[in-house]
Amino acid sequence: MLVLLVASGLNFALPRMMPGSPLTHLAGAEPELLPAADRAKLQAEFGLDQPWPVQYVGYLGGLLGGNLGYSFQKHQAVSQIILTRLGWTLLLTITALVLATLLGALLGTLAAWKRGKALDVGLTGVCLFIESLPAFWLGMTLVAIFSVQLGLFPTFGAVTPWVTRTGGEWLLDVLHHLALPLVTLTLVSFPSTYLTMRASLTNTLGEPYIQVARSKGLSEGKIALRHAVRNALLPVATIFTLNLGFAVGGATVVETVFSYPGLGRTLYEAVLSRDYPLMQGIFLVLTLSVVAANLLADLLYPWLDPRVRTGNKK
Amino acid sequence: MSVLAPSPDKTDTDPLSRPSRRLPRLRAWPKGAWLGSLILGLLLVMALAAPWLSPYSPDERTAQPFQAPSAAHWLGTNDIGQDILSELIWGTRISLLIGTLSALLISFSGLAIGVVAGYLGGWVDSLTMRLADVVLVLPFLPLSILLAAYLGPNLWNLILILTLLGWARPARIVRSQVLTIRALPYVEAARACGATDRHILYRHILKAVIPLVAVQWVQAASSAILIEASLAFLGLGDPTQKSWGTILYYAQARSAFLTGAWVWWVLPPGLLITLAVFGFALIGLAFDEVANPRLRK
Repeated sequence: MLVLLVASGLNFALPRMMPGSPLTHLAGAEPELLPAADRAKLQAEFGLDQPWPVQYVGYLGGLLGGNLGYSFQKHQAVSQIILTRLGWTLLLTITALVLATLLGALLGTLAAWKRGKALDVGLTGVCLFIESLPAFWLGMTLVAIFSVQLGLFPTFGAVTPWVTRTGGEWLLDVLHHLALPLVTLTLVSFPSTYLTMRASLTNTLGEPYIQVARSKGLSEGKIALRHAVRNALLPVATIFTLNLGFAVGGATVVETVFSYPGLGRTLYEAVLSRDYPLMQGIFLVLTLSVVAANLLADLLYPWLDPRVRTGNKK
Repeated sequence: MSVLAPSPDKTDTDPLSRPSRRLPRLRAWPKGAWLGSLILGLLLVMALAAPWLSPYSPDERTAQPFQAPSAAHWLGTNDIGQDILSELIWGTRISLLIGTLSALLISFSGLAIGVVAGYLGGWVDSLTMRLADVVLVLPFLPLSILLAAYLGPNLWNLILILTLLGWARPARIVRSQVLTIRALPYVEAARACGATDRHILYRHILKAVIPLVAVQWVQAASSAILIEASLAFLGLGDPTQKSWGTILYYAQARSAFLTGAWVWWVLPPGLLITLAVFGFALIGLAFDEVANPRLRK
């Protein structure tokens, strides 16, 4: 609750403290150059002439009604813009998140199993290196190699413009455009899951009940699958849930490199053109989803891990 | 927020319960830390010796724009004829400066807030930790984009933003460590012997917390460099102080990656960013496994 209040207050205050009047962008010229009457008319039209407390109350009232305001720049309701962009963003980020989690958990398990051996050291080194790659640079490099040099993938967008496709062809086109941003995002995000899984499984393997399983004569494979990995996956599941919240925000830099019509790039465009309502709307949706994901993680955890449940009852 | 404290059973977090396990880890990992120090050392030399190493001034228009690499310009020239190699060498200064300085501020404020909150407890503790929760939950990159656009693209503002959004993690980690140590028998014994708060803080608490803060510093530096690069790439860097990210911003703005120029304009700055981040990350991981009791096995 507190987080939401702070976020909505910040949300409202920040864009308004920014230098540069939105009129500059609205009129396409410096506001000083406009006739005074025109300026006043524009300001009244967008509610900018009222004192800021009035603007704030209007903003909060609108929020409760699900109204996020109207974008000056795009001449469209903010909620409308967010909804159309959200689909693309979620397609990209959630797919990447799922792939990254699977890859990270798998490799993390391998590394923890061979802890200290060449495989572990090598994998950890490689993952750390990949995590150090700037996402936007990786994207640029992939475009340069696979799109420009080899001509395998399109360089920008989510669908081929000015061509209407239907059914299977449309789907193929979407996947074709999705490939490179997806690879970029998956690559830069899987190492953190890898490190979590590795640390968590290493811890689990040291627990007494694993030694009990071993002394019962169970095979290593069985111990891994039945006992260790199941429990070691808990932190990974938590991180996955938390990241779902951030997934809504999209990946601003990756979307910018690929001109992908997602929410992250829209936020960036909104900042550049001082589009207050759009900025606020996106930021609010982001914060809301992060808070929701936190709540979900809190609720899921006792269900996934019975130890927490019994702990609470004490 | 219960999710932030992952392991419900904390029996193995006691830093003193397994003294014998500390040494093997120390021996097993320094290879990574050494490699990281070597990389960072080279970059540091490059940053410090920039005036002697770089063939031109990074702001000087030395040749025709968009030149391919030649004997005079090893990495060609950019869109207004500046030497890319010189830009890179001078950019090392800016990128490293922003990374290390904001990491220093982040870990220092984290240390101060964490120690005060953990040691004093009460309303100071709940107030600062609520605040930390809020900062941790806010979406990081979008918020830094908003702040950078609002405060204006300037070196010190970037450092300020990174600090404002970064202090919460080290503060939380330090606080939980302070809480653990404060309850340990030997601290109670010291208190019973009449030790002052000041003595306990300096002799026992700070001593135990400093290694954690050092790790936090290294990790903060690695992420600060990456975030500065992202912001600069989005055109929110300091235009008068070119960093590696700024070079990439211009390369992207001129669509260098759609032409052959990506090999000498896009590839080198990205590799340098990766190397710097990687260097810090290697050291961070190596020492995290030594300093963080939860990972020590």
